[in-house]
Amino acid sequence: MPVLLIAPFASFLLALSSVRTRRSASATAMFGTVVSLLLTLLVAWGLARRSTPYVASYQYINMSVAFSGPTNFQTFAINLVFHVDHLTVIALLMIEVCVIAAIGWHQLMGRSEPGAARFHALITLLLFACTGVLVSWDLAELFGFWALAGALTYLLLTHRWGFDEAASRARIALALPFLTDLSLLCGIAWLYARYGTQNLATLLPILHTNPGWTVRSIVVGSVLLFVGVAGRLALWPLSGWLTMTSATAPTAASAIAQSAWPVVGIVVLYRLTPIFAASNRQTLQAFLVACAVSAVIAGATSLVGNGPRRVITLAGSGAVAVAAAVVINGAYHQPATFAIAGVAAVLAVAPARAAALLAASTIANAMRTDDMAEMGEAWRRMRASSGALLASAIVIGLAASGALAFGVSSRSRLGIALGEAVLLLAVGAIRVFFGASFGILRRRRAFDPDRVREPEGARGFPYWLAVASAALLVASFLTGWLNFLDGQKHPAAGPLAIALWAAVAIVGFAACALVFTRGKDGALALSAFGGGFLGRYAAGGLGIVDRFLVEPTTDAGRRVSDWIAAGDGALGRFATASGQLALAAGRGPALPIVVGLAIVLAVVFALVAPGIAR
Amino acid sequence: MTLSAITQQSVGAGIFSSAFLLSILIWLPVIVAVGIAIMPNPRGRYDTLIKQIAFFANLVTMFILFIAYHQFENFLPTMQYEEKIAWLPAIGVTYHLGVDGPGIAMLMLSGLVGIASVLASIGIRERVRTYFALLLLAQASVNGAIVARDMFVLILFWGASIVPIALLILGWGGPRRVGAAWRLVGYWGLGTAALAVGVLALYAVTGGRTFDMETLLGTAQSPRIQIGVSIAMIVAGATRLPLFPLHGWLRDALAEAPVGVAVVVSGAASRLGAFLLLRVVIGAEPAAAHLLSPVLAALAALTVGYAALAAIRSVDIRHAGAYLAMVPGGITLLGLAAISPLGIAGSVLSLFTGGLAAALIAGVCATMSERAQTRSLLLLSGLAPRMPNIAWIFLLAAFALLGVPVFASFASEVMTFFGAFKTQPIGAFAVAIGLAITAVALAALLGRVLFGSPNSDAPGVSDAALGETWYLGILAGALLWIGLFPGGPKIPGTDTPLFDPGFVSQIAAGVSDITSNYTLPAPAAPAAQ
Repeated sequence: MPVLLIAPFASFLLALSSVRTRRSASATAMFGTVVSLLLTLLVAWGLARRSTPYVASYQYINMSVAFSGPTNFQTFAINLVFHVDHLTVIALLMIEVCVIAAIGWHQLMGRSEPGAARFHALITLLLFACTGVLVSWDLAELFGFWALAGALTYLLLTHRWGFDEAASRARIALALPFLTDLSLLCGIAWLYARYGTQNLATLLPILHTNPGWTVRSIVVGSVLLFVGVAGRLALWPLSGWLTMTSATAPTAASAIAQSAWPVVGIVVLYRLTPIFAASNRQTLQAFLVACAVSAVIAGATSLVGNGPRRVITLAGSGAVAVAAAVVINGAYHQPATFAIAGVAAVLAVAPARAAALLAASTIANAMRTDDMAEMGEAWRRMRASSGALLASAIVIGLAASGALAFGVSSRSRLGIALGEAVLLLAVGAIRVFFGASFGILRRRRAFDPDRVREPEGARGFPYWLAVASAALLVASFLTGWLNFLDGQKHPAAGPLAIALWAAVAIVGFAACALVFTRGKDGALALSAFGGGFLGRYAAGGLGIVDRFLVEPTTDAGRRVSDWIAAGDGALGRFATASGQLALAAGRGPALPIVVGLAIVLAVVFALVAPGIAR
Repeated sequence: MTLSAITQQSVGAGIFSSAFLLSILIWLPVIVAVGIAIMPNPRGRYDTLIKQIAFFANLVTMFILFIAYHQFENFLPTMQYEEKIAWLPAIGVTYHLGVDGPGIAMLMLSGLVGIASVLASIGIRERVRTYFALLLLAQASVNGAIVARDMFVLILFWGASIVPIALLILGWGGPRRVGAAWRLVGYWGLGTAALAVGVLALYAVTGGRTFDMETLLGTAQSPRIQIGVSIAMIVAGATRLPLFPLHGWLRDALAEAPVGVAVVVSGAASRLGAFLLLRVVIGAEPAAAHLLSPVLAALAALTVGYAALAAIRSVDIRHAGAYLAMVPGGITLLGLAAISPLGIAGSVLSLFTGGLAAALIAGVCATMSERAQTRSLLLLSGLAPRMPNIAWIFLLAAFALLGVPVFASFASEVMTFFGAFKTQPIGAFAVAIGLAITAVALAALLGRVLFGSPNSDAPGVSDAALGETWYLGILAGALLWIGLFPGGPKIPGTDTPLFDPGFVSQIAAGVSDITSNYTLPAPAAPAAQ
């Protein structure tokens, strides 16, 4: 079982030590990922023959820190606890499939990207880190792999060295997720401080039985953990690190980030729900509201702006938010086993996001524009990419329907909000297809529409990825799939419920089709206006924050530095002057100096000593 | 002075065994320094030889340290490798040396930083003899302060480190070296004075018979005395580590000092501040520690937050590196302020990892400014493609500073935060926010300096030379090694260490004694439902 980790790490070491050319780098990365995939299948086959997960533990740190006090605080240990169950292998398979597709696409479409050896080495190391997160059962170990994956994601998203826009946008890919990662660390630390353990196997049973536990402590820990996971799930407003880099980062990097992190994040969220469930209902309600708001706003913002990659990113974030709401809802309603439906939805959305990004980038590269208003005729000229885009958009729109059918009542307030979100993100996702595929592809300066065609070889990867996501979408409606994922029995969702939720997404598709059929240019002009409006207000808001918060705060730091330096200088000059005065006094006549000193001291004493003045 | 040597045989047998092992670590660099200083060097003919001598002196010291590290018995709570010679019996001063877990961590740090500083100084061309003599003296004084078990001897070594470092800055520093050197002398002098006041207070309270650390720190004192002594020690530690607001020397000292000196100051000499706080305030003044822990936590949060904010607004890369080098000190202090066993253990590990991380970030910023021939962040842009080695090390330094896993700083930060959230949750949150701001500062710095478009107005750049790559690599490699194998690599399938007994295991010796005053009470059983 540790070979699941060793394989991608070995591939990384191989890439780091020996590979120099672009082709060999991508071949090494592809080989390592395929080996990892085969090993994962092998483990999955082994799991199919047993009823319990694989568990292995290795010591990382073991330090004795006290000889007295509560026993669970006398020793600090971080163990590498590997826990592999059905959910782990399926999630890992999804990530590996997405990585293989991204590498394959990049081999053909990323020839102009610099630093191929570096790029592919980082991909294999990211796969290693994501694998580590999925198999970790110790929260400190999980955080270790999580933070490592975060650092590698930043390096991948900022891969294009030498470009100002890429560099400036990639800053947020380090700063914003790091903030939420710190929240995750604080949550784990908070729980450890109260329970003395960070191993899920020993922590979960004692949440309500450990001496000294309080609801407040679990609530605080839950909030910190949720914020930490939400950042990497890119739930609005924490999605900026994906949306801002979607156009400037290499497409393969963006595709991997948008497919791997939702899978990793939703699995971790699912594993942490027992902790959330141990808090109070108000906390869970707050999480549900946050997820719903995130889904609605992500869906709404995917309707404005004409950048296809940004729209896909936002629509995908909205779908993940809906799925996260289903997972949380599973903790809200006890006993509830439909939380796994949210995970199944994300397992379908992840490859769809990757496929949509790859297909949209193929189309954008061929048409040499990142503006949907200037795109068109992709359905005729680039059928495979356009078809992949269509399939991915449908999956993104429908993915949450199954999850919602299992666990959310359409008549509840949550149901209405999530239904609205599904409608919006369905429109947002499908409009990329309509915007790129139909309408007239106009001639521009140095651009001949007749030369637009599907690039050979690259068409397959987004297409097959979309097919895989469609298969997973269908599976997510089946209780047998859910039973397999978490090993529990699930009641089937009613066909009416499925039909209702699917109809919401289909209505969104139809509405978008109608609008684009009636007037594509008008629709895109409106969305461009909306995007510009939103961009201006966002820039204005950020400007206000920068002017009234960031600048004064950082300016205060600079001023303090200058004051301290000035103060030191003044102190030094005072010391010098007093020393010179002392030297001068030593050279001068003694009697007048003594008399003068006596007068000064007498006056000072008279002023400060009470009673003398009277 | 009578030499009635009361020596204790070194614990454990092995390759190397000496009753004066710790004295060798102190006086070998001094002897070599004196030798370098008096050897003739007409017109710089023997500059290369002098550099080699300095390097091999550090290498031999490191070799001895490795042996001491391997022979160190981590299950013994007492001092090891003790040496005790009566020196000034009239006032109770003994030449008393010894080391425990935290001490061995500091010695290893000093050894690594020493080698790195010599390699970083390979480019010195002027007055080479004097430079390396002073550098070795600085290293010796730091080693002496670490292993001193007599407070008088500690003060001597503590104060002795000021002179060679100030002279190095004054003689080989940048354009503003004079102000930088005087600031360093002023602040460190203030700290030395505060240390002396605290030690003399302890001396007086314990009867004025001896300066031995075990007697001075082991004698029970009233809370008022503890608080007074602790405040003096906090001032001494805060000027050295440094901590806001007694950090005024740091920016100019690290920015104007030669690269090797910046590495020694940020990596080893400054860690003495936290080491002193651990030994005296946390280890020996529990009542004062409990009372002053919120103050320490506040100082930690202020230090980290201020350092990050100041780094964001810096326009000089060496200034930015200097501010960022303050961050590990704040995290170490948070662990001490936690006054919980795990927090204190985390701060002991953080002494080592923080020193390496601080030296790495200060060193890489200095090296980059030298290679790019400018310090201005307005000119430095898009250097990664042209300086790939330095760019990668810069990235490693940034990740080490943030505590990204794989680096040893991850383990120390995890332990510090885990230990701090029980007793100082507000301080821990504040430090976490400061770390987030540090991430913003690093993101801005990396994005501008490494990944942006090249600036055509900037001077020509060149990648790191071999010596520079080596010294940065040693610092980064040590962080990676401890991060990957904190317990030491084991023979597969067994618990037998392969060739490293495990850094975390070795430094644990003596930590339980320090934490025995701070064990957490067992929480009350939950109320019946």
